[in-house]
Amino acid sequence: MAIQLTNVRFSYPESPARTVLAIDNWQVTKQEQVFVHGPSGGGKSTLLNMLSGIITPDSGDIKVFDTSLSRLNNRQRDRFRANHIGYIFQQFNLIPYLDAIDNVQLAHRFSKQTQTAIIEEITTLLANFAIKPIDWHKPVAQLSIGQQQRIAIVRAMINKPELLIADEPTSSLDHKNRDNFMTELMTMVAEYKTTLLFVSHDMSLASHFNRIDALADINNADCSK
Amino acid sequence: MFLKLASKSLLNRKGSVILTIMAMTVSIFVLLGVEHIRSQTKASFNNTISGVDLIVGARTGSLNLLLYSVFRIGSPTNNINWKTYQAIAENPKVAWTIPISLGDSHKGYRVMGTTSDYFTYFSYGAKRQLNFIAGKPFKEIFDVVVGAEVAAALNYSLGDKVVLAHGLGQTSFSMHDDKPFTIVGILAPTGTPVDQVVHVSLRGIEAIHIGWQGGVKIPSKKIANEQLSVQDLQPKNITAVMLGLNSKMATFNVQRDINTYPKEPLTAILPGVALAELWQMMGLLENTLRLISSLVLTAALFGLCAMMLASIKERNHEIHLLRVIGASPSFVFFLIELETFLISLVSIFIAVLSLYLTIFFVGDDLAANFGLQISANFFSNNNISLLVLLIISAAMIAAAIPSFFAYKNAKSSH
Repeated sequence: MAIQLTNVRFSYPESPARTVLAIDNWQVTKQEQVFVHGPSGGGKSTLLNMLSGIITPDSGDIKVFDTSLSRLNNRQRDRFRANHIGYIFQQFNLIPYLDAIDNVQLAHRFSKQTQTAIIEEITTLLANFAIKPIDWHKPVAQLSIGQQQRIAIVRAMINKPELLIADEPTSSLDHKNRDNFMTELMTMVAEYKTTLLFVSHDMSLASHFNRIDALADINNADCSK
Repeated sequence: MFLKLASKSLLNRKGSVILTIMAMTVSIFVLLGVEHIRSQTKASFNNTISGVDLIVGARTGSLNLLLYSVFRIGSPTNNINWKTYQAIAENPKVAWTIPISLGDSHKGYRVMGTTSDYFTYFSYGAKRQLNFIAGKPFKEIFDVVVGAEVAAALNYSLGDKVVLAHGLGQTSFSMHDDKPFTIVGILAPTGTPVDQVVHVSLRGIEAIHIGWQGGVKIPSKKIANEQLSVQDLQPKNITAVMLGLNSKMATFNVQRDINTYPKEPLTAILPGVALAELWQMMGLLENTLRLISSLVLTAALFGLCAMMLASIKERNHEIHLLRVIGASPSFVFFLIELETFLISLVSIFIAVLSLYLTIFFVGDDLAANFGLQISANFFSNNNISLLVLLIISAAMIAAAIPSFFAYKNAKSSH
């Protein structure tokens, strides 16, 4: 099982009475590609932050690749995230003042893997994602949004994570860039046999996936209040 | 990678970082400059006299005696009778004596009457003796030896004739113009009050005062130079005596003997003790300077702190991203600390460099105008190295506030 949530409850410390997330049972199997859709404010980011171990639930158990996140201490969770989970956001996927290679290398640094030929691998991947060599050493802030999101895929996949979480990664892209992005992402995921959790409100992207979940169906907490 | 991240992040915020570095640089410059000048002043102060075990003068306060005998500041309260001087000199515990006689001046520089023993026994700094850059000690009645600064300021060379003035004013109306002196020696610079002194023999001092009464020239009593005899030139009294003893152990003994001398009220002081006392009086000024410079540094540190804190707010996304790719909250904490460390390091480097250049370029002016000998080698002063460490740690402590905010931010990143 890639993801397994059991009786998870979460509310922010600022407003403990209001439960943001209440998931009794939700699972994703290995190498599955799941599309989760829901309105903003529906607890999407909370769920994703919890899966990556940045925040911990008030109660319940979260297992990622059969590792119970609540059993890990903070340091182990940070390490686990670096090694097993890749993450792509809607924007701000990269440190703006570092260049493409440094950004990817930085992500690699936090994982336990040691690879001597890492630069070579990074440049191969960047080339595969149509990032030209002249753009490799520019601060990424100078590159286009489309280029940045493609570098973000490389950054997320460099540690060959078993699980890739994508949080609205296409919302800042135009139509053409979005299609390119989806094709590249799905190719990469298939090649690396990665489990993909793709969260978006854009239903037109659902066609790329074989499993589609509505967050409202998973989350029992009433978020409308 | 860690260093690269921190430095590139700083470069990315050039504007505010440069301003912060400038504020830090100025305050560090002030702090180090004050400390350096303070220690240099203290050192040159403590170097004014060495090897002298006791200074003896008429009954007065120890500071007053030190000031007029060594620094030539202020006036002696009274003189010592020549017979008293002879009694002290004959004490078996006394190895050598340097009698001095003050009261006249030459173009604002004090004239000191003494014996040639002065050039043999007087020392300054780390037991350094007086050296001549030209000429030799005085021998004849109207010979004169000038200090380095006197020679440089008045452009004197060997053989020049000088006229001494009665009294200490820079523009005295009573000149000993009937008896001009000839420069026979110029001393090497010492960085002490010696540089500003015109040295003549005690007999010379006596000679120019023959025919004077109560500080006024009496023309009828004027005597031609050729008629001066040894008897006439025996001094009747002197201003002070510097003593060297055969054994340091006897210092307090001799001091007591002199202080309780029955025929004349005298004061004997230990120069080191009196110097320390005098420096203590300057302690208030010293502490005020230190306080001000540390306040300046504090202000700069607050500026640094505010700048870093503002940057944390801008960098929420960046911090969240670092967390997501596996950085721990402590990584974020130390990243901010490292950035601060880099800022303080660069500031210290620029401050030290500019301080060095400043001393290098204005050091001569300082020596000429203020008599301050400032060496450019300020890392020989342990205090400076200590201060640099202190500045870095103060900056790191100040940065703990924004770093902690960043840490908290990273911890509850959502």
